[in-house]
Amino acid sequence: ILQRPLLFRSFENILKYNLKLEIINIINIMRFASFLCVSLSDIHYMLGKGLKRKLEQEEENGVMKMSCPQEASPACYWLQRQTVLNLSLLKLHSRPGHTEPGLARWVLITNTLRRIQDVPAPQFFPSGVETHSEGSLTPVSGLEEDRHLFLCLSPSISRQQPPSSSVIKDSFTSALAEIEDLCPTVGITTLFSTEMGPSSLSDSAQSLFGHTPPLLADFSLDDFLLTEIDSLLFDNVPCGSSLSGSSGASKVISMVTDDLVKTLAGYGNGGISQSALPSNQTFKLDLNELDHIMEVLVGL
Amino acid sequence: MDGDGEGQSRWCLSQVKGAVDDDVAEADIISAVEFNHSGELLATGDRGGRIVIFQQEQESKSLPQCRAEYNVYSTFQSHEPEFDYLKSLEIEEKINKIRWLPQKNAAHFLLSTNDKTIKLWKISERDKRPEGYNLKEEDGRFRHPSSLTTLRVPVFQPMDLMVEASPRRVYANAHTYHINSISVNSDNETYLSADDLRINLWHLDFTDRSFNIVDIKPVNMEELTEVITASEFHPLQCNTFVYGSSKGSVRLCDMRASALCDQHSKLFEEPEDPSTRSFFSEIISSISDVKFSHSGRYMMTRDYLTLKIWDLHMESRPVETYQVHGYLRSKLCSLYENDCIFDKFECCWRSDDSEVMTGSYNNFFRMFNRDAQQDVTLEASWENGSPGCPLKPWRVCTGSRRKRNEIGVDCLDFSRKILYTSWHPQDNVVALATVNNLYIFQEKPN
Repeated sequence: ILQRPLLFRSFENILKYNLKLEIINIINIMRFASFLCVSLSDIHYMLGKGLKRKLEQEEENGVMKMSCPQEASPACYWLQRQTVLNLSLLKLHSRPGHTEPGLARWVLITNTLRRIQDVPAPQFFPSGVETHSEGSLTPVSGLEEDRHLFLCLSPSISRQQPPSSSVIKDSFTSALAEIEDLCPTVGITTLFSTEMGPSSLSDSAQSLFGHTPPLLADFSLDDFLLTEIDSLLFDNVPCGSSLSGSSGASKVISMVTDDLVKTLAGYGNGGISQSALPSNQTFKLDLNELDHIMEVLVGL
Repeated sequence: MDGDGEGQSRWCLSQVKGAVDDDVAEADIISAVEFNHSGELLATGDRGGRIVIFQQEQESKSLPQCRAEYNVYSTFQSHEPEFDYLKSLEIEEKINKIRWLPQKNAAHFLLSTNDKTIKLWKISERDKRPEGYNLKEEDGRFRHPSSLTTLRVPVFQPMDLMVEASPRRVYANAHTYHINSISVNSDNETYLSADDLRINLWHLDFTDRSFNIVDIKPVNMEELTEVITASEFHPLQCNTFVYGSSKGSVRLCDMRASALCDQHSKLFEEPEDPSTRSFFSEIISSISDVKFSHSGRYMMTRDYLTLKIWDLHMESRPVETYQVHGYLRSKLCSLYENDCIFDKFECCWRSDDSEVMTGSYNNFFRMFNRDAQQDVTLEASWENGSPGCPLKPWRVCTGSRRKRNEIGVDCLDFSRKILYTSWHPQDNVVALATVNNLYIFQEKPN
């Protein structure tokens, strides 16, 4: 009887901090998505009326150009790989409207995704992302079965999807809106939607605890593509249902807290900057905000 | 460069058609441009399903420098938006392709298609009407026979010219996927229509049946990796046609070989260059247009960055490759993001096959002289230069611009693109469409 409340509390905390880990991971990706910010704003200018902007500054910095050759920099290649992956998934999700989507376009995007899958993810993991020593994998790996967790939390809403009564989804959407305020980039929904695939979460775990890059290292692309996105997104898998308590929970918690402090301390003022250097692309997100988001997410 | 020094090209702006304001209605966006076989008529189709035909006026003596102008001849609504009740999806009325039939009598015939339905239109002139009926008044009221005292023979009286367009055939319900090409056979009796996975052969006279001649639909749709993107009949051999695919290959088929031409007779494919390999290699290799030369000896293919000329006798590689806008190679990721990488550019041959032309972004179009191995970049713009004034060639540079008529890659406007082009079958007149304007350029006679 004495143990039960302890178990519950640790269970609760595990859930909370596991989700925080994921959000940290996502934040790291968002840092690299800042390069998307630069190119996206340029594209907006390109498509705008009469407004043209030169990219000389970015080209001078040249550190993280959009399409560097693979040999030049593994980090650059990794970034491009992720970018193309994000864009492809975003395109596959978005429905053009009332007319039938073109088959040719679908085939080309799908083949691009297959090509990304065939090319192995580089071993190099971009610097600046916090890595942890090997710790207990149980809490996060416990989420492996909840592969739909982030799918159902994904806000990549298309118009044809039926409204969900999931409380989690709604609160996540508002939490997302908060994050979007902090980081004005179009790529956010993309990023969340890339957290998909059966083994993506375990890979993410490895990325934090190991050295392999996160996200979609290998998963069955065909499975993914075949599955009805709608049904996936609204699978109301209760979060944390398959989590099991672990005696190593407290150890994980303390590690995570350290990491949290270290990571978040590195964040300063965000926003689009002219420079392409990663160290300048930071987001303002302090611990309180993260806690707030967590509360909203899981109602804790 | 074509033309003298750094100054001028041989081409000058002849006319601009369409509204010149910035506010473009979606329905007015031009989606097809095609000269007829004599060059007298120029047809354009738009996203609103309308076709506008321009006719070249007779040569005017007062302006010997300029060739005759094109003026509106006929306007009609070719296709209407439809609704597919089974799939709950709209079928766009946008005109995908227009192809003229060779003229056999006084009337003109053209085929126009949207995503699902092909129509044969007859455009005819009426400049006389019968007058003097016995039982009908001039205003149309009927006369009672008992009121007649004399009989007269009706006669034809001249009237104002009226151009009528009437649909003679509707070829419907033969395509599950979106039609991307139609091509009239040299036998003038049949034509083909191609969608993403199938090509059908029609006889012009029969709308209730068509023959499927190519079917690349896999048994399991999840295994689909390639679609048909363009198709054309050979200009001289009525049994030969080609189709291009999204993987950058072109297949030539002979209809005499078998009823179903799934087995190609020739496969034109260039091996991928490993040094330029990227995530987008396949997308940019997708064939957006395929056109036979007038001679029938060569074939031109357009993919996203290049124009390739193939000798039909050699399948292994093209005989000529022209870079249309190679400076975009480093921008492919951005172009993927804004969907420009999926733009399908058309291309066309000059009447004697010595030059080819295609469109680009920023309202630029490119002309490649095969004999002289020269190319030029020109801009379709009504702001710069007046009609009759020779166009100045442009240069796209990777750094910041240094001189006039130079523009940096990053300053290009990707919302202004020239996808549709057509070359007059005899004269050196080209017609091309920007988003909502039709431009006609002609070559300065030397």
